Amino acid sequence: MRTLALIQLTFKESLAKKTFMAFFGISTLVSLLFIFALNLDIVDGAQAYISVFGQEANSLVELDKIVVTIEGAISILLFTGGIFMALFATSNLIPSFLESGTIDLLISKPLSRMQIFMGRFTGAIAIVAFNIFYLIVFTWLIISVKTGIWNFNFLLSGVVIVISFAILYALMAFLGLITSSGAFSLMITYLILFFSPLLLQRDNIYALLSSKFYGYLLDGIYYVLPKTAQLSIMTQNIVNGNPVSSWMPLWSSALFGVGITGISVLIFNRKNF
Amino acid sequence: MLAIETIGLTKYYSRGKIKALQDFNLQVETGKIFSLLGPNGAGKTTLIKLLLGIVMPTRGTASILQQPISDHNIHQQIGYLPENHKFPDFLNPVQVLTYYGKMDGLTADQVKKKIPELLKLVKLEKWEKVKVKKFSKGMLQRLGLAQAMINDPQLLFLDEPTDGIDPVGRREVRDILLELKNKGKTIFLNSHLLSEVERMSDDIAILNNGKLVEQGKLEKFISVERQYHISVDSDDHQLEKICREMDINGNDFNGRFTVMVEDDIQLNRLIDTIRSRQLNILSIIPRKISLEDFFIQVVHDEKGDSR
Repeated sequence: MRTLALIQLTFKESLAKKTFMAFFGISTLVSLLFIFALNLDIVDGAQAYISVFGQEANSLVELDKIVVTIEGAISILLFTGGIFMALFATSNLIPSFLESGTIDLLISKPLSRMQIFMGRFTGAIAIVAFNIFYLIVFTWLIISVKTGIWNFNFLLSGVVIVISFAILYALMAFLGLITSSGAFSLMITYLILFFSPLLLQRDNIYALLSSKFYGYLLDGIYYVLPKTAQLSIMTQNIVNGNPVSSWMPLWSSALFGVGITGISVLIFNRKNF
Repeated sequence: MLAIETIGLTKYYSRGKIKALQDFNLQVETGKIFSLLGPNGAGKTTLIKLLLGIVMPTRGTASILQQPISDHNIHQQIGYLPENHKFPDFLNPVQVLTYYGKMDGLTADQVKKKIPELLKLVKLEKWEKVKVKKFSKGMLQRLGLAQAMINDPQLLFLDEPTDGIDPVGRREVRDILLELKNKGKTIFLNSHLLSEVERMSDDIAILNNGKLVEQGKLEKFISVERQYHISVDSDDHQLEKICREMDINGNDFNGRFTVMVEDDIQLNRLIDTIRSRQLNILSIIPRKISLEDFFIQVVHDEKGDSR
């Protein structure tokens, strides 16, 4: 109940920010677009004509492909643009609650420091999850009802996107906690986000390195840091119903998230405000 | 019973370069208004923050309401108004009190019941739907006070509670605090407004450079022993004459005739003599110095000592 109040407060604070309202507005717009873009003609109980964005589907197999492609595109859009926006919108949540006059009041409440930190952390993830699932569930329902193709994997992609955000947010929260700067923590998190595709291509970089040591270093960085590029590929594979070749990027990134959150809690427990 | 007890409480910052609080020993009884005084940077806010677990002690121990300060569950019985507190500016007073009340462990029904009476008490009932970003400093202080009282705490920590509040509002805050004291609550006050402190405190402590300089009953510090202001229904020359005859030091002090007696016997003899001269005594008041005078004297002495 006590921690829930803190989560609710963070949720409300996020909603009060224009970025989340923009996110919400874009999600609604995308969903509405599908309502109008997807046309179905039913003749004698059977689908006589199906078009998506003006493109006619000749068979059910082809329609299935179109639906999966659209849902895949939405999930990738959410993975890149959605996470990018969500990180931007939540970047100041930790530094702002560490400000004098705010944190003192929270610590004076009968909550442990861990509850306070995790309440804030969970609140930020809850608002992003709400936004992501709002778009996914809404568009999924429209597409599924209109086409009759119910691709549950699309819903599952939302889970991977939220987990990916949570991992990156854990890093941003840690940086926000030690620097009290929303801008700095956002910059470093973006750097990690964009560095990930580069690390994925490290096999091609090895040849350019002067020493083997740098190769090992790159490998080390790759295994420790969140593997967002691979998580993005995994998301698309899940939507398309393709088998996931390895879950390593997910569990090792999640491990990074759990580890960095643990360190943040330890620091927060000992910090003077 | 003790509401607060500290033993050797010490807080250093920057690896000991800044000594915010040094070997601080304090005892605050329950049901009292206790005021902590000190110049800026003396360590007053640090002490409150230590007691509430907002900063960690370098060494020493402390307890509030018989529980160690490390136990956050004791905060259920505590209310706190920090100096320069910040409420989320997108909330209105009802929402502020609802969220912070729930964090205190109150149920939705308890909060709903408590909010109207608190808003009425701090005179914000007409502003309940207005977002706090539109509030003046004084209104924010009133809301802060309501927030500190939402859980009906046994112990209230108030850091500069009347900051930004006009004289009428200050009086209202004072009345609220005195009412709380009458209900058996303990109030720990940090204030620069010495006249306010003087009007309502039972006990005070003076802190300077992180050290406890004085602690005790307010009355003890501001009373001047064996000195009395006497007024009669005649001019003061008559009194001067009587004092001369009785070899008592008596003269005008800030427009009031003041005598310095050796003991109670001499005071009673003086009263008898005044009465025997057919003078009506209007009042006999023990002389007091203002808390401000006492405070400045103590802080000055400390500066002298430290040199």
